[in-house]
Amino acid sequence: MIKLQNISFDHCIKCTICNVYCPVARVSLFPGPKQSGPDTERFRIKSPELVDSTLKLCSNCKRCEIACPSNVKIADIIQEAKWKYLKRRWFRPRDLILSRTDLMGKFATLFNSIVNFFTRRSIVKFFLYLFIGIPYQKTLPEYENGTFEKHFYKNYPDQNKFPDHVVFFHGCFVNYNNHKLGRDLVKVLNSLNVGVNLVKEKCCGVPLIANGYINKAKKNAQYNINSLSEIHEKSNFKIVSTSSSCTYALKNEYSNLLNLDNSAISNEIEYITKFIYDRFESGNIFKMKPVPLRAAYHSPCHLERLGGVIYTIDLLKRIPGLDLVILHSECCGIAGTYGFKKEYYKLSQDIGKDLFRSIETANPEIVITDCETCALQIEMNTQFKVLHPVNILAMAVKE
Amino acid sequence: MYDCLIIGGGLAGLTCGIKCAKEGLRTAIISGGINSLHFSSGSIDLMGYSADKNIIHNPFKHIKSIKRKNPQHPYAKIPVKTIEESITFLTDELKSEKLLFYNNSGKNHFRITAIGATKPTYLSQESVFNEQLDLALKNNTRISILNFEGFRDYYQEFAFSNLKKNSLFNKLNISSGSIKLSFLPDTKKHLLESNSIDIARLFETEKYLPRISEEIKKAAGDSTIITLPAFIGLNNYNKIHKRLLELTGLQIYEIPTLPPSILGMRIDNALKSRFSSLGGEFIAGDKAAGGEIYNHRVTHIYTENYTEATHHAKYYVLSTGSFLSGGLQSGFNKMYEPVFNLQFNWSRKRNKWYSDNFFSAESHPFLSFGVNTNAALHPYDKDGNVIDNLYCIGAVLSDYDPVREASGGGVAVSTACYAAQKIINGIKG
Ligand SMILES: Cc1cc2nc3c(=O)[nH]c(=O)nc-3n(C[C@H](O)[C@H](O)[C@H](O)COP(=O)(O)OP(=O)(O)OC[C@H]3O[C@@H](n4cnc5c(N)ncnc54)[C@H](O)[C@@H]3O)c2cc1C
Ligand code: SF4
Ligand code: SF4
Repeated sequence: MIKLQNISFDHCIKCTICNVYCPVARVSLFPGPKQSGPDTERFRIKSPELVDSTLKLCSNCKRCEIACPSNVKIADIIQEAKWKYLKRRWFRPRDLILSRTDLMGKFATLFNSIVNFFTRRSIVKFFLYLFIGIPYQKTLPEYENGTFEKHFYKNYPDQNKFPDHVVFFHGCFVNYNNHKLGRDLVKVLNSLNVGVNLVKEKCCGVPLIANGYINKAKKNAQYNINSLSEIHEKSNFKIVSTSSSCTYALKNEYSNLLNLDNSAISNEIEYITKFIYDRFESGNIFKMKPVPLRAAYHSPCHLERLGGVIYTIDLLKRIPGLDLVILHSECCGIAGTYGFKKEYYKLSQDIGKDLFRSIETANPEIVITDCETCALQIEMNTQFKVLHPVNILAMAVKE
Repeated sequence: MYDCLIIGGGLAGLTCGIKCAKEGLRTAIISGGINSLHFSSGSIDLMGYSADKNIIHNPFKHIKSIKRKNPQHPYAKIPVKTIEESITFLTDELKSEKLLFYNNSGKNHFRITAIGATKPTYLSQESVFNEQLDLALKNNTRISILNFEGFRDYYQEFAFSNLKKNSLFNKLNISSGSIKLSFLPDTKKHLLESNSIDIARLFETEKYLPRISEEIKKAAGDSTIITLPAFIGLNNYNKIHKRLLELTGLQIYEIPTLPPSILGMRIDNALKSRFSSLGGEFIAGDKAAGGEIYNHRVTHIYTENYTEATHHAKYYVLSTGSFLSGGLQSGFNKMYEPVFNLQFNWSRKRNKWYSDNFFSAESHPFLSFGVNTNAALHPYDKDGNVIDNLYCIGAVLSDYDPVREASGGGVAVSTACYAAQKIINGIKG
């Protein structure tokens, strides 16, 4: 039986345009979104044994969906097929480590200096490669001391004094790996007279979905929906996130992919630059000081899919002194946990090659991007430091 | 607050955006999904056939007569001079992106289709048609229609036999041949599984040009002109074309393939790059879902991803294309314009939407359906009121048939420039 909501494959007019925009098909034998998505979905529904293992190669970057003229949810079809039809071993330590960002984070932030010490060692990297297949060329993200949540409640007890408020969905990266981004967010929002609130949250589920832990992803998603809709109902606060992929998941994937009802929150969630853009447009701008830097801006795939790139660029253009080069929009290749797997390592590097080259040509002092894993990929493959747009805005705040 | 917000980034929306941005207007284009340039021949048709199906050689002369015969036609609403200027504008803008176009000094020329038919058109890329080819066609030249062996989106035998039958080419000595390269050296994809974009990328690496040239020479035999399916590069096409000419000593021309159309994508890339280098803002990945009309004016629009009032502008342009691009939509027994629910010209009887024969010379009635506008390209809301700050341009318009007339590109470009000029006047006072 075909479920009615799953027939978007039937809208495909076989134009092959999606293949043009698929970064994986460009560099590999991956047959491309058209074949792996709508073309073979109709066969898989009837005969699941027809499933083709090249499905795994799709990195879920969603560039095919941006291109499709018929609104086929190609990437969603492929992700669903991956976990429905592909056989997996039940014990996959590497995938478990990569996908349980919150568990890893909770543990590692307790012993961060020890964990960071070890993950920096080449011998440890070698064993990680040997035993669980994380490419030794990769630098694992460093962990902070303690969680952002703890620091937030300790250091910002006075958020009530602001007239306006948001809920900040900090996500795993801010919570465990990048407190600075969280602090900068509070600084920027407070300068706009907006107070920051946190609620109980779990990992948004993006890495779980990518690694096929669907039940766990659903559990997390439902937890987040409950917790965010509860506070939204009570307070009518908007929800913001500094991660483009978390935003996309909360807004769209919870319903499209996980079949959960997120209607209470999906319109209330905004990627942070859109939220700030709206404030700026309505005249609520903080005083700015120059940030004299030459920067190259890379737009992440999932922010492209959200149609949100324009807001980031607009904010950056307003910062005095910032010499901004906007890079041609292309995939960096890491696609979340994808580039952290040895079987996709070369692919992921091949995909990103053009981007790395255009960054070198732009010859900036720093690179700016909205996505935490894009940032890791770029830092590993170029000599530049990568910052989030919110970091740059915080530098521009004139106190 | 934008000066001008354009919904739909196809040939029409991009041309309009470039013109506005060039005048310093704060301009944004919001566009979900690719445009129909990806399916097009990459030539810009202006007016190719008359209502009685005769081939038109002098399109501007014919356009003048449309004003009398069919006052609802988009061309009838625009001064002929504006239409002429808009074609020059497009040619110049593309030239500044190094994409060069040929026109037959104000007259139509012929482009060759993927199956070897000929169609009258107005602008073609220099690698498709130029003066040299025009000259060669008039002489007894040896020409070879080539394909890569195994590439399935182009049928050179079909093209070959159709061209041989064509009286335009009876002076030519036409043959056909295959270039042998059974898999792509970079990705090891077999040619059987590849489409035009894979091969365009192979050319783009430049690494294999000497090897490909050797194979081309072998396949060309004693012909001095050869045609290839259009995939000589997506970005570096000028350089690659030149290198191939040097390496083979042959004249090389391109013939469009089945989609994805490399020739069309070159125009798409060039226009987008021009638009952003002029400071225009392009929002891909999101779609306009609806808009609010108050007091004969659009007050704001909202999108699929952001359902609250998100975008405000002084002027709005609707360039969402026709049915293929989703600018017009149909249900079982109704048709509508989905963003503003504008007044729409269509037939209520479903069996009057299409002709029984798919390749009917009469074309299909639905191709002329679309949004109805006044002479200034302002549409009407569902109660029949003119919307003062909204313009409709390109394939979303009614009362012309881009296929039967071969007029799609010209209507898109000229309505775009016409609306842009009105917006510029409105902003600058
Ligand atoms: C298959 C095909 C081949 C053609 N070949 C030729 C040719 O060779 N030469 C020629 O001159 N003409 C050709 N035409 C005619 C063609 O229609 C015009 O030349 C011209 O490209 C139309 O441009 P447009 O900008 O009006 O529409 P489109 O190119 O269709 O662009 C519309 C854009 O709007 C977007 N859009 C739609 N709805 C929304 C929304 N709600 N929100 C945001 N964005 C939206 C679409 O995704 C699309 O990107 C061809 C047409 C087709 C269909
Ligand atoms: S772009 Fe969309 S309609 Fe075209 S082949 Fe891909 S899925 Fe099908
Ligand atoms: S999601 Fe990305 S990798 Fe997967 S098929 Fe689409 S374009 Fe290709």
